[in-house]
Amino acid sequence: MNGYNFAYLDEQTKRMIRRALLKAVAIPGYQVPFGGREMPMPYGWGTGGMQLTASILGSDDVLKVIDQGADDTTNAVSIRAFFQRVAGVETTTATTSASVIQTRHRIPEAALSHGQILVFQVPIPEPLRFIEPSEQETRLMHALEEYGVMHVKLYEDIARYGHIATTYAYPVKVDDRYVMDPSPIPKFDNPKLHMNEALMLFGAGREKRLYAIPPYTRVESLDFEDHPFEIQAWDECCALCGSETSYLDEVITDDAGNRMFVCSDTDYCMTRRGEVA
Amino acid sequence: MYVAVKGGEQAIANAHQLLGDRRRGDRELAELSVEQIQEQLRLAVDRVMSEASLFDPELAALALKQASGDTIEAVFLLRAYRTTLPRLAVSEPVDTSAMRIERRISATYKDIPGGQILGPTYDYTHRLLDFMQLAEGEIPTPARAEQALESCPQILELLNAEGLIEREADDGSEPYDITRDPPDYPVDRAARLQMLARGDEGYLLSLAYSTQRGYGRNHPFAGEIRIGQVEVEIFVEEFGERICIGEIPVSECQMINQFGGSREVAPQFTRGYGLSFGHNERKTMAMALVDRALRAEELGEPVNSPAQQAEFVLAHADSVEASGFVSHLKLPHYVDFQSELELLRRLRRAHAASQKAASDEEVI
Amino acid sequence: MLWPGLTDPVHDSQRLFRQILQAMSEPGTLHNLDLDAPPEVAPIGAALWGALLTLCDLDTRVWIARELDTPALREALSFHTGCRLADDPASADFAVVTPTTLHTEIAFATGSDEYPDRSTTLLVSLDSLNDQGPWQISGPGIPERRWLDVGDGEALMGCLARNHTQFPRGLDALLACDARLTAIPRSSRIEKCLKEDRSCMSQ
Repeated sequence: MNGYNFAYLDEQTKRMIRRALLKAVAIPGYQVPFGGREMPMPYGWGTGGMQLTASILGSDDVLKVIDQGADDTTNAVSIRAFFQRVAGVETTTATTSASVIQTRHRIPEAALSHGQILVFQVPIPEPLRFIEPSEQETRLMHALEEYGVMHVKLYEDIARYGHIATTYAYPVKVDDRYVMDPSPIPKFDNPKLHMNEALMLFGAGREKRLYAIPPYTRVESLDFEDHPFEIQAWDECCALCGSETSYLDEVITDDAGNRMFVCSDTDYCMTRRGEVA
Repeated sequence: MYVAVKGGEQAIANAHQLLGDRRRGDRELAELSVEQIQEQLRLAVDRVMSEASLFDPELAALALKQASGDTIEAVFLLRAYRTTLPRLAVSEPVDTSAMRIERRISATYKDIPGGQILGPTYDYTHRLLDFMQLAEGEIPTPARAEQALESCPQILELLNAEGLIEREADDGSEPYDITRDPPDYPVDRAARLQMLARGDEGYLLSLAYSTQRGYGRNHPFAGEIRIGQVEVEIFVEEFGERICIGEIPVSECQMINQFGGSREVAPQFTRGYGLSFGHNERKTMAMALVDRALRAEELGEPVNSPAQQAEFVLAHADSVEASGFVSHLKLPHYVDFQSELELLRRLRRAHAASQKAASDEEVI
Repeated sequence: MLWPGLTDPVHDSQRLFRQILQAMSEPGTLHNLDLDAPPEVAPIGAALWGALLTLCDLDTRVWIARELDTPALREALSFHTGCRLADDPASADFAVVTPTTLHTEIAFATGSDEYPDRSTTLLVSLDSLNDQGPWQISGPGIPERRWLDVGDGEALMGCLARNHTQFPRGLDALLACDARLTAIPRSSRIEKCLKEDRSCMSQ
């Protein structure tokens, strides 16, 4: 694109982000402050993920962008078009063909492989933020590894509802040290964080934080012995591909409230239907 | 290459086309030019420049035109453009004492050396709609002094000479740059003032107002408000001296506040400071009040009101950040919503079962 | 002879960064960096030079150990990256060292518990580097364990093993011999395995 550098960001900004990324992978789960820049998209719409993608992307990469697991949601379309325009990279909807995947709210169903990079868009990177709003305080809590309040919060849920009432952005502990917000993915996706073969990078543009989980890293969802972590389950299977193991979206089909359930991961669903046909 | 999508791209393109059409409005009417906005909607242009942290009246006017007059959208457009600009030089601090003054008032003295100059102000207009402006007629050229006032002493300097107000001197240290480094709370006053300077005017106005109503009161007096042109200088290595690269209009407000003091330091007034591009008087007054409120801890005052809580005030002042995050709720969230639905249904089933068990027990 | 810069700064630095990123996220894996090597007399090889060109700029401070410090290296660094050279190792973002440098204790920045990222990254110039050797590493980025031979490694590995006792504070290291590069971040656990019995001694 005329007038802008490859992948939009100037080289100095990319280097600043790249240095921060190296610290992020060296201290898994720790939120590295970085000099986030304004992007030509609103804050909250993926500017953190976009800055990371722009800093790692090369001309031989194949990029996939998903939002809610789908390649065709408007913001995914918009971000993909942005990188096609400013970097001219090849794009794909196939999880297995992509070298870089930028995502909002999901981890693909197909297992990621070694060498792939998954970039998450993060709205609020601080897992303790809704318990303690002050950044000064939460920074200290991470420094002291003082995570008791998080367990108290989860346990209060159990006392009140009989269940842990956190269903997405479910906190995890990375390599037995940092409590981390995995971004607002459904807790269904949490087990995929553990010992994944792909490198996972997280970018929060407005909050100016980035963090990482290297491949083959232990990631545990917080829980209690008497209330072990469990993921969502549906009585239904996908109405399109019949999957019984994928995350399902509920689609309302008429005024009478009839509904069907379909895979949230559109590529996974299409691939399965292709195989069946 | 082919990308399999289902209408998303076309829908976005159509939306952009419709937006352009609505922006243009009735084609029978002449199109608004950027020059007209720059000349005739000056205060909007000034506000956009201030909150975008970029002095460029033409591009600010273009942003307003492109945003159909939506100030926050225009600030965002100009801010996103600013980020792409290379940094060619760093200016010396502007000297507002040497301002070519267009307006200057003090509420703390009846008369001041150099005089009180009302300048172009809405202050004493009666807020009656001027129906004459519905008709098109030329505005008579105003009576004005032959030339702008030369530099006038700062009122607070008069107090300073007597030791009645806390001294503020440039210690020469390099200020934190909020446009390049993430805020690291607690931030120092230089960083705070930068964040307030690009903060949303409405937000600062409300916070400033809250201090006047008792939530962190700091007894303010408008010591001096001055608006006019200041020179921007850069230091050029090759010449070994400063050169002026141009003039910009700025507004400055210096508040005189509640005095402090201790066993060691004699009682003296304290200060709050506001500065912005262009004619932005309300913004600078609000900024000065909030600046003073945020100095509570430094001045040994209790911190118990919203306007005094630095992290709260500063982290939420930026309209580009705030509008982005509020508006992101428009994006699809159906995956997380499905998570919540699944849990809620499960909880309700468990609740119904336990209610039934309880009522069965009663029957027995 | 002049020190070479990157032929295509935008795309070369992207390519090299991705290799460095992969090295840092998968400690102990070896990567060959493809770029024009510095002159033969230079105290560092192609991989470390590539890392410096990729990561350093006006905002970066670099400390150079005495045994590597030459006017040519200083000039080349300033010319190609614009980085500032640090006298105080505690203020350095990057420190160019050899295993010998680490025989004496040097106060590099290890960050704080609040900001562990504010720490020096070591760029270690090695005489040999292989993925078979006495040093066993495990931890994030490593499926089970990996082995390394870094030549004269006692002081170097001792220095990096101390990371474990002060985590999250610590030093991260890029280690290189000629064009070959690997990384040991502070998250890695390091043990020395004796050849005879393969039993490991924790460092």
